[in-house]
Amino acid sequence: MKTIKSNIYQRAKILVSIAFLMFQFSNAVSQDKKAIIDLQFKEKNDQKFITGTAYDFENDSIGAPIEGIDLFFYVQRTFSLLPIGDRFSTTDENGEVTVEFPADLPGDTEGNIQLIVKIEDADDYADTSATKELRWGIPTILDDSESKRTLWAAGANAPISLMILTNSLIVIVWGIIFYIFFKIYQISKV
Amino acid sequence: MTDIITKIEKIDLPDKDRANIEDDLLRHIAGPSRKYKIWIGVLVFIIAVGAFAYVRQLKYGLIVTAMRDYTSWGIYISNFVFFVAVSLVGSLVSSILKLSHATWATPLNRISEIIAVSAIMSAAIIIIIDMGRPDRFFNVFLYGRLQSPIIWDVIVIGTYLVISFLLLFISLLPDIGLCRDRLVELPGWQKKMYRTLAFNWQDKPEQFEIVKKISGILGIMVIPVAFAIHTITSWLFATTWRPGWDSTNLGPYFVSGAFMVGASCIIIAMYFIQKYLRLQEYITDKHFDNMGKLLVLLSLVYLYFNINEYLGPLFRMVGVEGEHITELFAGKYAPMYWLVQVGGLILPITLLIFKPFRKPFPIMIVSFLVLVGAWLKRFLIVIPSLQHPYLPIQDVDESYMHYIPTWEEWAITLGSFAGALLIISVLIKLFPVLPIWEIKNEKKLIKAT
Repeated sequence: MKTIKSNIYQRAKILVSIAFLMFQFSNAVSQDKKAIIDLQFKEKNDQKFITGTAYDFENDSIGAPIEGIDLFFYVQRTFSLLPIGDRFSTTDENGEVTVEFPADLPGDTEGNIQLIVKIEDADDYADTSATKELRWGIPTILDDSESKRTLWAAGANAPISLMILTNSLIVIVWGIIFYIFFKIYQISKV
Repeated sequence: MTDIITKIEKIDLPDKDRANIEDDLLRHIAGPSRKYKIWIGVLVFIIAVGAFAYVRQLKYGLIVTAMRDYTSWGIYISNFVFFVAVSLVGSLVSSILKLSHATWATPLNRISEIIAVSAIMSAAIIIIIDMGRPDRFFNVFLYGRLQSPIIWDVIVIGTYLVISFLLLFISLLPDIGLCRDRLVELPGWQKKMYRTLAFNWQDKPEQFEIVKKISGILGIMVIPVAFAIHTITSWLFATTWRPGWDSTNLGPYFVSGAFMVGASCIIIAMYFIQKYLRLQEYITDKHFDNMGKLLVLLSLVYLYFNINEYLGPLFRMVGVEGEHITELFAGKYAPMYWLVQVGGLILPITLLIFKPFRKPFPIMIVSFLVLVGAWLKRFLIVIPSLQHPYLPIQDVDESYMHYIPTWEEWAITLGSFAGALLIISVLIKLFPVLPIWEIKNEKKLIKAT
């Protein structure tokens, strides 16, 4: 009885594995169409817009615009991608979708941000992405007070003036103390 | 201050010859008396109880103390500030009075130097006792930040400790030579100690010249270092933003208080040394009288800084600062505060203005009041301020709002007092307590070969 149960379990496992592989294969076959994303940027009344256009990219040549495909807009942050725009941004009949760029996004010290637009998990098209560096972020002022020589910095970054003053006092006072030690030694030699 | 001090008249030393002076001042070094042994036994017992309490603190941590997140500095730090204050006495007598040509104070030089050495050693030990992890003490040197007043304090305490030792040793050197030559009936270890410490002293003029030169250098150098040690100690408080500490007055306030407590320590020591070592000819009523006048002067200066320290916040009475002042003037610390200000400052000044109170016994009692007041004053400087932070903890535990030292803290604190007295007692027993060669020099009895 135990053996029969075990056989059924083994066979079910094999069937599930085959079904999974077939699904993956069909998925891969169905997504083998290539697409390309074109990006355009527009500024109007302090508002910034990104228009992404998806094109068919068969045989390494740009084809017709793709309608009804979702484009995902991201901005690269330190550890992950920050989604911008609506939750779903689906292309129109011209293959276009426009999202507004947030006005309050911090960039690097010059305001540069990296924009990434992706096609992800589409039914007919393979994943692809387009990247563009833009100076649309708010420049970040780095707080480098810890690396400067200040009273509140780490010990290694003590202000030079303080180091000179303190060490000079120590050298002068201890220099005199060692001179006194020497004179005491001289007393024994008189 | 210098003008007033220099006006104090010179005191005549006993009209004795060289041998008699030596006999008088070396007499107490002979074998310890029964009274001395009992005294040392009592001190050692108190130190042993303190050591036991410290072992408990090491074993269980600072939780055995009453210090918590609010009152993180308790009586250990009060005691540390007190000992640093007392240590300034060395610079007061051995330097300031000497440089002011107040020759009457010559017999007091050695006493002040011994008290200074003992106090600064106790201060250094107390600060280590206050550490939760004393095994990490050397991290202060390895990883310390030069920007921190704590590091400045460590540097200046170490420096002042060495200078205090040198001040004592240099003035002792000719007398150690005398002990080596004259005290031949002492135990072998003691004679060997004198031989070693005498540095081949032979009363040669060249040797006296070197001693004179070193004394001059040290006498000048000790003043800025002494001012630095207590000013920097005050900055430990002044650079921390707390009511009562946030003051530019704190440096001179601490230094003036230190000179006052130092003078009272000398007077108490003078009384017992005069009485038990039978040195009435050398430490006379005139010495007590002059020290009394000096104590009044120093107390008046300290009173002036006290008025400065409290009048501003009292006038403003703003927020937490106002709460702090209210607590001191009319709250739970009011009895101690008024006891210190009246009993330890105003009353001594008033009494010592009158000559009869500058006689040895009355002035010793008055000085004792000043000393107790000074210790309690350090308690009032440290603890109430910590209980009123500008940024209080939300829903703070009730126990954080109060500070009543535990028996371990009291035992360790009393142990530190006993330790300081033990150092003084041992040094007095081993070495001449008055500077024989300087007294002979005053009388032109010095024997230069």
